[in-house]
Amino acid sequence: MATSIETRLLGRNVSFRVSGPWLAYWLVTLRLAVGWWFLHAGLDKFLAWPFDAGWFVGGAAAGTSLGPLMGPFSDGVGLAVVNVMIPLGQTLIGLGVIVGGLTRLAAFFGALLMAFFYFVNGETGGWAHGLVTGELLGLLIFAMVATLGAGRVLGVDAYLQRLSLFSGDSKLRWLIG
Amino acid sequence: MSEFTTADKIAAYLGGGLVVFGVVGIGVLEIVWGSPHPVSSEGQIEHGALIPLEIRSYIIIVGLVIWAGYAVYKVVATSPDPGPTGTA
Repeated sequence: MATSIETRLLGRNVSFRVSGPWLAYWLVTLRLAVGWWFLHAGLDKFLAWPFDAGWFVGGAAAGTSLGPLMGPFSDGVGLAVVNVMIPLGQTLIGLGVIVGGLTRLAAFFGALLMAFFYFVNGETGGWAHGLVTGELLGLLIFAMVATLGAGRVLGVDAYLQRLSLFSGDSKLRWLIG
Repeated sequence: MSEFTTADKIAAYLGGGLVVFGVVGIGVLEIVWGSPHPVSSEGQIEHGALIPLEIRSYIIIVGLVIWAGYAVYKVVATSPDPGPTGTA
């Protein structure tokens, strides 16, 4: 079963057919892979608690493009908050993306976290083989999952969208797709 | 036929354009006339690069900020199309 896409891009008419089943299949597959990536990263940190992000926020980030933004979180209360928010955020993002619940919200914050990892790790050696790294690809997959509202395919969002809270022109609908 | 709105165009073309230019466009220029990679595996900046690493990073960052700003704008300033999104 194919779906016909007709739109305009860069000033040109674009028309192509997409296989519906394969599109749905890949949205779920990408969600499972990138969701487990984050869920595992979060759970791994909780299982090895305590987690200390000081080497990243205060060490590696200093001197990078995002250093000024991350500096206030390099010690004291700021670092204590980051030490909890990174594993908690990764766990919730991973869970949300895997089960497809509030997927856009989860994927937005996933992309945000990946941006920090991308620039800090990249500028401190990760870009030794070029700027396209796993972190950039992860960021782009999160962006795609969010844009396409992938949680509506075999995900909790498919059920949420039937609730009046998430239907019609409710702004909450932006969180699922 | 669905088309981009003005906000969509800014996010897609300006935001995406900066990300692609920073990653791919400058990457092509560097591999031909500059340095094939901006840092060593030890994190030392390669000074043979045509575009300083910091400027290249900021070009990509501005693109990503435009994308993020667009997402926030959509939620705050617009309402979804009231039509159905799909079935469970």
